[in-house]
Amino acid sequence: METLVKRERLTVAENENAVFIERELADRLEIDVKAGARVKHYRLHGGADNALTVRIGENAAYELVTLHLGNGDLSMSFDLAGEGANCRSDVVYILSGDEKSVIASDVRHNADKTVSAQLVKGAVGGRGHAAFQGGILIPYDKKEIDGAQQHRALLLSRDATVEAVPRLEIYADDVKCAHGSAIGTLNQDQLYYMRTRGIDETDARALLTTAFLNEVLDGIEDESVRAEFERLADEGLKK
Amino acid sequence: MTAWLEINDLRAKAGDKTILNGLSLSIDAGEVHVIMGPNGSGKSTLSNVLCGNPHYEVTGGSVTFKGEDLLKLNVEERARLGVFLAFQSPVEIPGVSMATFMKYALNARRKAAGEKELDAVGFMKRIKVRAQALNVSDEMLKRPVNVGFSGGEKKRLETFQMAMLEPDFCILDEMDSGMDVDAVKVAGNGVKIMRSPERSFLVISHNIKFIREQIMPDKVHVLANGRVVADGGVELLDEVDKNGFAGFVKEAVA
Ligand SMILES: Nc1ncnc2c1ncn2[C@@H]1O[C@H](COP(=O)(O)OP(=O)(O)OP(=O)(O)O)[C@@H](O)[C@H]1O
Ligand SMILES: [Mg+2]
Repeated sequence: METLVKRERLTVAENENAVFIERELADRLEIDVKAGARVKHYRLHGGADNALTVRIGENAAYELVTLHLGNGDLSMSFDLAGEGANCRSDVVYILSGDEKSVIASDVRHNADKTVSAQLVKGAVGGRGHAAFQGGILIPYDKKEIDGAQQHRALLLSRDATVEAVPRLEIYADDVKCAHGSAIGTLNQDQLYYMRTRGIDETDARALLTTAFLNEVLDGIEDESVRAEFERLADEGLKK
Repeated sequence: MTAWLEINDLRAKAGDKTILNGLSLSIDAGEVHVIMGPNGSGKSTLSNVLCGNPHYEVTGGSVTFKGEDLLKLNVEERARLGVFLAFQSPVEIPGVSMATFMKYALNARRKAAGEKELDAVGFMKRIKVRAQALNVSDEMLKRPVNVGFSGGEKKRLETFQMAMLEPDFCILDEMDSGMDVDAVKVAGNGVKIMRSPERSFLVISHNIKFIREQIMPDKVHVLANGRVVADGGVELLDEVDKNGFAGFVKEAVA
């Protein structure tokens, strides 16, 4: 695993396997994933704005998990440029107090047989405000495209707000595209059930929120990174 | 002198709908009581009101449990005082395993009692013995709470939770429904093993054979239209068995 520090440009050579962790971000990062390469990329984002651009070559696979905490906008753009390119780009965002953030993602299926999947999950408390803009572009002449995008957000307080703006531009026919967004509060029946077992309401809420976000974080293969991200998410939720 | 659990003239509604209509019932420590009654008569509502379910609003009456005003306490405080409900339809909690759930529940009680958290070894011991007795496999403990389990398995897991938490007052809301013959025996056995002079049960069931053979109650109550309309012993079971609830329901309306 390689630690990236304020990197702005990165190329992963053909057929190379690479794992990156990024805790200190520059204001932008461009990644070129060459044909057949396999990349796993873990990012901690928050505080300042950041723009990520990833180009994914033929039969290459790029997997990203981002943990966003606090202020700062995040824009991500994925260009599935080569046939058979595969992109997974999951996000967990946690906001509290007066924090605000816009998370924008653009997935462009610019080649045949490209597959993208994105699961974005957020938890917003205090007077926090998050906006998720999720774009998927599939040009008219592209074939055998599979694009999935799901956004789920939990409002942890009365004054928290989340807004979801899907931007789907699907011009082709040979497409499988599942997308959806749901914004809600914690399930009252689940909270009640946990409390009947003696668990404090505060702890029950935290446990349910963590379980909700862990659907993304549990997918992190590297054990130490997963533990680190889950710990930071817990700290973010306790703020 | 008030009983160990005393419910007096309890009234409750959900939204605009009045469900409990002046319900009175008392249970002494160590007793096993059964409630029978037609569908919709308020049995599950009573269970939930005793646990403090915020869906229901108590509009009158009182509940005293071990000398405390139960209605004043919040849901978790009642649980820690010893009230436990095995739900008729337990809710699913994706992302939280049964093992983790039980660890939180046990530690919450210990914390409230000013005790240290249970260590890993102590916890594993406690869970192993009870899981074995109730036919709960390791795999079931690792899976998220109630997610994807069959109706009978969910009931078995409710019984397992009761065994883990060792509550003083166990309300079992149709624990036997959806269980196969063998599972019913295991569940009934769970109740038998847990019977003690300090622990009482309120068993809700439509299954007279199960009540007679597995529960063997001290007292039987018939509930109709949100009220207890008959109190008695096991002889009430025969009456319900022979004539159904028709006679009782008339009494409730009159
Ligand atoms: N949260 C609620 N909101 C509105 N009505 C409710 C609510 N809970 C229960 N009721 C109604 O109150 C009545 C009593 O319901 P309850 O579930 O207590 O019956 P029960 O005696 O447990 O029936 P069963 O034998 O079918 O389990 C029913 O008519 C039911 O529809
Ligand atoms: Mg019921």
